[in-house]
Amino acid sequence: MLAREMRRFLSAAIWITIAAVGAAGFAVLALSRGESISAAWILAAGIASYVIAYRFYARFLAVRVFALDDHRATPAERLNNDRDFVPTNKWVLFGHHFAAIAGAGPLIGPMLAAQFGFLPGTLWLIAGVVAGGAVQDFTILVASMRRDGKSLGQMAKEEINPAAGMAAMIAILAIMVILLAVLALVVVNALKASPWGLFIIASTIPIAVLMGWWMRSVRPGHVLEASAMGITLLLMALVAGQWVSLDPTWSRWFTWSGTGLSWAIVVYGFVAAVLPVWLLLTPRGYLSTFLKIGTVLGLAVAIFLILPQTRMPALTQFVDGTGPVFAGKVFPFAFITIACGAISGFHALVASGTTPKMVTRESEARLIGYGAMLMESLVGLMAVIAAATLEPSVYFAMNVPASTLGPTTDTAARVIAQWGFTLHPGQMEALARQMGEATLLSRTGGAPSLAVGMASILGRVVRGPGLALWYHFAIMFEALFILTTVDAGTRVGRFMLQELGGHLWKPFGRTSWYPSIVISSALIVAGWGYFLYQGVVDPLGGINSLWPLFGIANQLLAAVALCVATTILIKLGRQRYAWVTVVPLVWLASATLTAGWQKVFATDPRLGFLAHARAMTRSVSPDAARLIFNDRLDAALALAFMTVVVGLILASAREWWLVLSKRKAPQVNEAPFVESAYAAGD
Amino acid sequence: MPPEIEVGSDQGAVAGAQWWPARSAQRALRGFLGVVRQVVGAPDYARYLEHHAACHPDRAPLSPREYYADFVTWRFGSAGPTRCC
Repeated sequence: MLAREMRRFLSAAIWITIAAVGAAGFAVLALSRGESISAAWILAAGIASYVIAYRFYARFLAVRVFALDDHRATPAERLNNDRDFVPTNKWVLFGHHFAAIAGAGPLIGPMLAAQFGFLPGTLWLIAGVVAGGAVQDFTILVASMRRDGKSLGQMAKEEINPAAGMAAMIAILAIMVILLAVLALVVVNALKASPWGLFIIASTIPIAVLMGWWMRSVRPGHVLEASAMGITLLLMALVAGQWVSLDPTWSRWFTWSGTGLSWAIVVYGFVAAVLPVWLLLTPRGYLSTFLKIGTVLGLAVAIFLILPQTRMPALTQFVDGTGPVFAGKVFPFAFITIACGAISGFHALVASGTTPKMVTRESEARLIGYGAMLMESLVGLMAVIAAATLEPSVYFAMNVPASTLGPTTDTAARVIAQWGFTLHPGQMEALARQMGEATLLSRTGGAPSLAVGMASILGRVVRGPGLALWYHFAIMFEALFILTTVDAGTRVGRFMLQELGGHLWKPFGRTSWYPSIVISSALIVAGWGYFLYQGVVDPLGGINSLWPLFGIANQLLAAVALCVATTILIKLGRQRYAWVTVVPLVWLASATLTAGWQKVFATDPRLGFLAHARAMTRSVSPDAARLIFNDRLDAALALAFMTVVVGLILASAREWWLVLSKRKAPQVNEAPFVESAYAAGD
Repeated sequence: MPPEIEVGSDQGAVAGAQWWPARSAQRALRGFLGVVRQVVGAPDYARYLEHHAACHPDRAPLSPREYYADFVTWRFGSAGPTRCC
């Protein structure tokens, strides 16, 4: 009896301490104005919130809302085929799922949103994940797990209606095209005029082919061995890149313009999509997974060890919408710029893809669905910290396009001085020399400034390699896994297009028919390649228009996922708890539709696509016609996304009303209950 | 070269690791590599053989080469996003 009392007291004491630490973190974030704070406070606020949310809210979701039941066999147990349906240890699956959801999004988004200061990003990452993103991932995982691992599109079709399913599929395809374009643009901007960076990324192609050949022909299936070899070669290429950048002849070969690089990526994307997977896609996939997990862990350890001080202000004057990195006020634009890390619709595709087929016991979905997303948010906070440790003048000098800053550091210093930040003479030149780059001025896209932030953090922990090596390591890390997403995404897009095309003309739907493979791959690559090329030649830098478009698309996909989740909860008779998905849905739909509306119709030509097109009609620039066309295309695309999603929300709301008013018997499409053998022990 | 199927107590002794710390270190390493394989989604031939022996004892298992070709086509060659943004 006493022992139980003691345990309850201890437990309460521990949770009160965690809450106090978190509250102290938020208090410091809220009260510090103008002075530098330690990154420890950002981490304290974040981690304490995650722990409390996981312990209490995720438990509430698991027990009350979903009524997870370990006696109910999961598809992994019932359909075990030792392939896609495999009961997997929960920590292993946590790592597997995290590696699948974490990408460039949570790193780049917070870096761009740092133009508002570090506070909006920090708060949105924490609040968004706890109430939105983790809930979405968890709900969709559970829904899919109870339906033998059905995909989001299939669930939309079954739970809402067939038209909704079709609309969701087309929306997913369009989003994929924009996502690939914007990620490829980030890579082009990072590798442009950077012989060192380009050399490393170019050498990943022969390294991957060598690994592919090794794993297929020399030692079949020895992935770990081939990956160890690949990583060793990659690190050698990283070091060799410095010699390349210093040698006049070699560096000329690897110094490419943005347009040249965008063509190269388009050709690469097409070739990678039609080649057999074992040659390029598989080895690159493994290489980037190892690099991603290793680097994220390393960065986390480094941040905890040095706890850097912030240099960026908590809030900048650009919350009013005059920001030079991208246009728009903090509401709604901070909430679409940071998508992954807070809430990301794309995760719903992974959570209804491979993961639900591998969960051993229902209760483990809490760790995997909710827990892995909390980790992704922590990655987002690390990007916030990397951004916040930059000098504000350096941050803006790197992330603002040359059309605003002018061609030289002197012109840039004058522009930045007007914003109240001081760029010292020679500062950018010294930084570029330290990082081993020709210039760091107007290196937009977020990746170079993230690499500078990461290099300064990692370089303080392990000094040996020097900042230039760390900078290019970070560039390699970002570019490698972005390009892996480009290969894999092009392929997934190809399959989706083939499936859709199969409805129109049967033979096109045969995924292994070569003409269909070539045509559908070419169409997907042409789609993202078009937006990529236009982004590269856009005088405003392309990120300004493409990143918001991507954010809007991704958040609208999350709205679709939350609609499906709400419909399922209502059909299960849990309407009492429908607020768990309705509240994030309302917030997301309002923020994203507002952002979409402003991007299309705002009268400020910096913000609105149509206003920019109108302003361009008076321009004498030879590019005017092209820019006007692109503005109208972007506007049409944003409107199309918004229309589809509003339609889906209305279709879902109709379904909710029909079920709640008892006009329609709720049909629950869950797989029937089968007693689990794994629960016998409890 | 096919990997060893399982290290039973006598097989482990034959493999040369007689001294118990070496043996348990070997086992720990094997376990760790198994976890790494699962996290990154790599094929595991030894596990496949175990599953095959348990579920389809009537058929001959695939060779390592056939198994890998089959695995890769399934894991990377079909629809469904395996990674996010």
